[in-house]
Amino acid sequence: MAALLEVRGLRAGFDTDTGYIEVLDGVSFELAAGETLGLVGESGCGKSVSALSVMNLLPQPAGKITAGSIGFQNRDLVTLPKEEFHDVRGNRISMIFQEPMTALNPVHRVGNQIIEAVKLHEPNLSSAIARRRALEMLERVGIPAPDQRLKEYPHQLSGGMRQRVMIAMALTMQPDLLIADEPTTALDVTIQAQILDLLREMQRESGMAILFITHDLGVIAELCDRVTVMYAGCVVEQATVTQLFSTPRHPYTQGLLRSIPRLDATPKQPLTTIPGTVPALIDMPAGCRFRNRCLNAEDDCELRSPDLIHAAGRQIACHHPVAEVMP
Amino acid sequence: MTSYFIRRLLLVIPTFLGITLLVFAVTRVVPGGPIERAMNEALLAQTDSAQMIDMNSVAGAALSEDQLAELRAYYGFDKPWHESYVIWLGRVMQLDLGMSTRYTEPVWDIIKNRFPISIFYGITTLILTYAVCIPLGIAKALRHNSVFDNATSAVVFFGYALPGYVVAIALLTALASAWEWFPLGGFVSDNFDQLSTLDQAIDILYHATLPLIAYLAGSFAVMTFMVKNSLMDNLSSDYVRTAIAKGMPFKRAVFRHALRNSLIPVATSFGQLISVIISGSFLIEKIFNIDGFGLLGFESLVERDYPVVMGILVISSLLFLVGNILSDICVAIVDPRVKFGENGS
Repeated sequence: MAALLEVRGLRAGFDTDTGYIEVLDGVSFELAAGETLGLVGESGCGKSVSALSVMNLLPQPAGKITAGSIGFQNRDLVTLPKEEFHDVRGNRISMIFQEPMTALNPVHRVGNQIIEAVKLHEPNLSSAIARRRALEMLERVGIPAPDQRLKEYPHQLSGGMRQRVMIAMALTMQPDLLIADEPTTALDVTIQAQILDLLREMQRESGMAILFITHDLGVIAELCDRVTVMYAGCVVEQATVTQLFSTPRHPYTQGLLRSIPRLDATPKQPLTTIPGTVPALIDMPAGCRFRNRCLNAEDDCELRSPDLIHAAGRQIACHHPVAEVMP
Repeated sequence: MTSYFIRRLLLVIPTFLGITLLVFAVTRVVPGGPIERAMNEALLAQTDSAQMIDMNSVAGAALSEDQLAELRAYYGFDKPWHESYVIWLGRVMQLDLGMSTRYTEPVWDIIKNRFPISIFYGITTLILTYAVCIPLGIAKALRHNSVFDNATSAVVFFGYALPGYVVAIALLTALASAWEWFPLGGFVSDNFDQLSTLDQAIDILYHATLPLIAYLAGSFAVMTFMVKNSLMDNLSSDYVRTAIAKGMPFKRAVFRHALRNSLIPVATSFGQLISVIISGSFLIEKIFNIDGFGLLGFESLVERDYPVVMGILVISSLLFLVGNILSDICVAIVDPRVKFGENGS
C-alpha cells in the first residue's frame, strides 16, 4: 500500500503561560489514496491537533510541531517552507471544520468565498469561469437554486447548507486528501446523514482520500475503511473498521465500544462507562497513559509506555491486549 | 430598511423637542440673565455718582418699573415660559435663532463666523484620528506583545492620560513662548487677507499645529485599541482559519477577511465623531485664542446669553441626532447581516 499521507512520530504542543504543554506524544498513522481513515477518541485526545498539524494550521504563535514527519506526495509537510504550503493547502489537501456557522466569513457573499478558493490556485482564470466553477460545485453538493445562493451571505443559509458550501469550497480544486474535522457534530442527525452521504458520493466521483475526525463511532462505522483510535495524545489501536468493531484489542477501544448505547440492551440500565478520567496534559503519568483506567493494567504498564506494534493485520499499543474474541 | 431610517428620522423630531424644551426651561429657572445684567450695568453706572447709598435701593432705582417691563418684553420674559418656548420654536422653524443679548447681533451670524474654524479643526482631527488609529491598530494586532506593540501602547496611553489643556499649555510655553517656533495663538495671522492662497494654507497650518497636537494627544487611545482588539478577535476566528486552509497567505487573509469585520465597531463610532466636529474643547480654544464653538458656548453660558446657548444647542443636537442615524447607515453598509427593521429586528 503506497501511502498518500504518512504521519510518523508526530509530537506537537502549545506554549502557554505556565510553559510548554505537549499534546501529541508521537502520533503515527497513514492513509492510502482514495481511502477513508477515521480518527477517533474523546475530546482533548489530540485528534484535531493532529489534523491541524497536517495542514500547518496550529494556532500561532503558541502551537508548534517539535518532532516527527508528515509525508505527503514526496514532501515532508513539517519542514515544507511556508510559501510552498500555500500551494498544498486548499489545492492538494482541503479541510472542512466542525462549526459551519463560524467557518464562513459573515461579510462576504458565499459565491465570492468559493470563487476566491478557485482564484487562489488558478489566478489566471477569468472571473466568469471561476464563477461557473463555483456554481457547478454548489450544484454538485446539492444546493438548490445555486444561482441565487451564490449571491447570498452565510447568515442566510442553514447550518446544513453552510456545511455544503464548505464542502463545495474545499473540493473546488479536487484535492487528493480531504480532512474533515467533526464536520457533522454541530448538525441535526438527519442533516448529518445527508452530509455523510454527500462526502461518500464526492469521494466516489473524485477518488480522494478522507481523514475523518470524530468521536462518534457510529459515523466511523458508516463511512470509514480503517480506524485510528487515539487516547491522551497517543495512537492506541489501528485496524480496519470490521476488525475494530468485531474484535477490539486495546482495553480502551473495548471500553469505547461498550459505552455505545445499544438498541438490543436491557432497557433502563445505566450506560457502561470507562471508570476514571483522562489524565491532565500537564500531568501525564509515566508508562501507559491509560493504565489508571485500565482493567488489564499490571505492574509493567507503569514502567514502560507500550509501542505501537503490528499484530495480525492491525496495530496496537498495549502490554496486555484483550483476547481476540470479544467477551 | 428604508422604512426603518424614515422612522428614525421622524423620531428626531420628538427628541429634538425634548432636548430644547428642557434646556429652555432651565434657562428660565436659573438666576441671572439679560435683565439682571442690564440692572447691574445700570447699577455700575450709578454707583460712580452715588457711592455711599444702600445697594438695594440703588439697584431698584437704577431702572424704573417701566424700563424693566420694557426690557422683559424685549427679551420675551413677560410671557409664561411655555408661551415663549412656542414663540422661540416658531422662529427656529423659520431659521431665525434670535438676537444675541451680549453682542446684539443675530445668533446665526455669530455661529456662522465660528463654523469655518470649528469645521477645520473637527475634520482635521477626524481624518488624522482615523489615519493614525486604523493602521496603528492593525500593526499592533499583528505584532501583539512585541516591543513595537508595548512601546506604542505606552505612548498612546501617555497621551490619553494627559488632559488636552495640559498638553496645550506645555506646548505653548515651550514651543511658542520659549523657542518661538509657533505663533502664540489665533486661527490666522493679521495679514491673512494679503497672502497668496498657498501662503494662506501654510499660515493656517502654522497656527493649527499646536492646537491640533493638543486635540489629538488623547484621541488615539480608544480607537487604536478598538481596532487592535477587534482585529485580534477576528484573526483567531474560524473564517480566517478557513481562508488560510483554502491556501491564502496569512497577510492576505488579514486584509481580505479579518479587517472588514474589525472595522464594524469603528463604523459605529463614525456618527458620534461628526457631532464632535463642532463641539470643540473650550479650554484648548481659550489657551490658543481660537474663536471656535467650544469657547462660544462656554462664554455664552457664563454671560447668560441664552439665545446663543439655545442656538448652539439646536445645531449640536441636530448634528448629534443625524450623526447617530449616519452611524446606523455605516454599520448597515459594512455588515450585511444588519438589516434594520425587517422581521421585527
